[in-house]
Amino acid sequence: MLELQNLSSGYGDALVLRDFSCRFENGQVTALMGRNGMGKTTLLKTIMGLIKAKSGSVMFNGQALEKSPPHLISRAGIGYVPQGREIFEDFSVQENLRLGLLGHDPNTALPLDRIYDWFPILKERADQRAGTFSGGQQQILAIARALIGGPKMLLLDEPTEGIQPSIVHDIGLQLARIARETGLGILIVEQNVDMVRTLANQVLFMENGEIRESCDIEVVRRNDALLHRYLSV
Amino acid sequence: MRNSLIGLLVFIALAITPLFVGQYWTGQLTNYLVYGLLAISLSLVWGYGGILCFGQAMFFGIGGYIMAVFTKGMIYPDLTSSYLGLLAAMAGSAMFALALGYFLFAGRGISGAYLAIITLAIALVLERLMNNWYALGGYNGLLNVPPLKLVAFGLSYELWDRLPTFYIILGIVAVVYFGVTFLVSTPYGLLLTAIRTHPDRLSSLGYSVLNLRLSVFSLSAAIAGLAGALFVTLDGFVSPTLIGFTLSTEALIWVAIGGKEMLLAAFLGAIFTRTAESWLSEIFGDYWILILGVVFMISVVLLPRGLLATPIEKLMRRRKKK
Amino acid sequence: MSELIPIILDASSYILILVLVALGLMIVFGMMGVINMAHGELFMIGAYVMVLAQDLGLPFLAGVLLAPVVVAFFGLLIETALIRHIYHRPLDTILATWGLSIALKQLVVLTFGPESHSVTLPIDGSLEMGAFSYPVYRLVLMLASILLICGTFWLFTRTDFGLMARAVIARPATASALGIDTRRLYRWSFVIGTALAGLAGALVAPIISVDPQMGLGYLVPGFLSILVGGAGPLAGVLAGGAVIGGVNNLLSVWISPVAALITVYIIAILIIRLKPEGLLGGRRAK
Repeated sequence: MLELQNLSSGYGDALVLRDFSCRFENGQVTALMGRNGMGKTTLLKTIMGLIKAKSGSVMFNGQALEKSPPHLISRAGIGYVPQGREIFEDFSVQENLRLGLLGHDPNTALPLDRIYDWFPILKERADQRAGTFSGGQQQILAIARALIGGPKMLLLDEPTEGIQPSIVHDIGLQLARIARETGLGILIVEQNVDMVRTLANQVLFMENGEIRESCDIEVVRRNDALLHRYLSV
Repeated sequence: MRNSLIGLLVFIALAITPLFVGQYWTGQLTNYLVYGLLAISLSLVWGYGGILCFGQAMFFGIGGYIMAVFTKGMIYPDLTSSYLGLLAAMAGSAMFALALGYFLFAGRGISGAYLAIITLAIALVLERLMNNWYALGGYNGLLNVPPLKLVAFGLSYELWDRLPTFYIILGIVAVVYFGVTFLVSTPYGLLLTAIRTHPDRLSSLGYSVLNLRLSVFSLSAAIAGLAGALFVTLDGFVSPTLIGFTLSTEALIWVAIGGKEMLLAAFLGAIFTRTAESWLSEIFGDYWILILGVVFMISVVLLPRGLLATPIEKLMRRRKKK
Repeated sequence: MSELIPIILDASSYILILVLVALGLMIVFGMMGVINMAHGELFMIGAYVMVLAQDLGLPFLAGVLLAPVVVAFFGLLIETALIRHIYHRPLDTILATWGLSIALKQLVVLTFGPESHSVTLPIDGSLEMGAFSYPVYRLVLMLASILLICGTFWLFTRTDFGLMARAVIARPATASALGIDTRRLYRWSFVIGTALAGLAGALVAPIISVDPQMGLGYLVPGFLSILVGGAGPLAGVLAGGAVIGGVNNLLSVWISPVAALITVYIIAILIIRLKPEGLLGGRRAK
């Protein structure tokens, strides 16, 4: 379980998150929705230790993480797929995956074959330079790279940005399957309604650094009122 | 205003120092004032202009050589006026800086670490060049540079004695110090701050970043050139060491230890470091340089704003609160 | 033709040593954006370890093995006490390491005196080939440098350590979020860089005069090599070293050392100014 308590964070003197508190149960797939600039990316980066929290706590399965550097947070079992994918363009697919593996205990990491089962395209193109991939393929690689370390919880920051809809749906289905099979918890920041409907069990709506509404995915599936209010789609 | 008050106090303190110390130290202090002028020039270009110049002594040296060549009558035997020499030294250094600055900053200019390395290399090149420029004395430099000669109302006076020399130099340094202090308090100073922190935003506001950089680079070079010119009249000779790498890095140390973002701190940094050097190198001998290196290192790591600037800033803030 | 061969060999051996020194600088600069002005002094300490080893009557090879270890230890100390506190302030690292360089130089003056020392050639003879002859040690030196350069390339392009190091260069935040300990990589890369400088110093000690000022003579050309070649790919340093070292050495023979140095620096400055990303491309300073 990932529990955030009174978390404050931001850039320089400007706070984006103020006294943010929230809980994410194990195995739960939560989508975090909201307009741009509402603090979603800041939240993920703060959990990951990429932005130091000004105050508050981050507990993950009983371990306090708010003061840890990113690599220890990653090793504690939180995987991260950054916005814009951030794959290593000059490295081969295999090298990208290996980088996801090197920082982790080999006993808890996933075998490469498992990753290749989930994402066969990566096996086919293992030696190809990652920079030559399409946006969707790069996204798959970024997800696989985060999964190979064997996280218990995966943070995804706008994975569908700039990707064609057919691949978005595939990625959503595949992630849902992995979550079901392995009990992986997912926290996904997303604007794409199709992705959220495919993947999430629960939706949080965020505005000005605060959670305004939390509801089951069925509520979102049945009516669009919430989406209109918080995303103005 | 308070800023200049502390500056004023410092200069008053300097002015009465000869009453308490002997001839020897007055002479030394005169030299340190000139180094202080070099420190002011470096503080202006680095601390205010954001240009880390690892070869500031090249302007000092150019000024020195021009002054020597002029006042020794090597250009034109009848034209040995000190005033002309000082003017030519400042103008020559500024022009060199303008040309060099244009080369370095125009277009996709060089900045940061690259600039440091390149200016360091240029200082090395110039030092080698002067070492081998035999018409200008080569390795030995030029000897018998005359002292400053003040001419006014038909009277002329050569500065051979220590006390008058001290006060003349102090006067010049004070004028430059307060002049530059005033300059950085005008909108120009604000532009310099902007260029240091957000050069791209400044250019989108319609200011020419290049022109601003060139202006501060040349102005700083002119001051360094003036310092170099004064220095050779004190010492009576000019040599390649004045233009080179060692003096450049020494100046960098004074300014960093003092505080690059504050003219007064940089100026005092030079004077204190040189004074400490004269004193402590007698006590500690060869260990002094080791100590200086370590102090420099520690001050950069722990007090990046400067060893002197930090307490002076505190002093000012306390006065402001009252 | 036969007069040319020794000149070319001299130039090549100078280039190789320069590349060796520059490689250490480049690892540190490329990874952390840290300009280590004390790198020349670490090179110098390597040479002084040889002087010490000779005074103690140790065999040459023992000195060669000892030098990188001693200098790496210095590197570890410097990284822990100095660099790690300021690596996010790249310009301040220039100043702080400059202070360090002054301190190290003076430390050597205090310990060994300001005069220059010499290390005797471990292998005396010359290789005679028809009309020309060439000292065997210089050939050994070149061979050793080539091996070391290849070794460093292998480390950074073929091993897991190198993969992580290159990942940290490309995307430090992402690498750390993948579980890679960037600070540890910085530290060991720094230590490897210093060890290389120490080893280079030890290897060239017999053919140069060892004195406290020797570092600067390699530091500036080393940096210029990196900037000329391009701080991105490792191969950049080869190109840069070849330009700087080659031109310098050949002009020294044909004109004069002073003219050579001035010409080389001016060429370097022009290249850096006109092609800031370096001959082989790569990124600019942070």
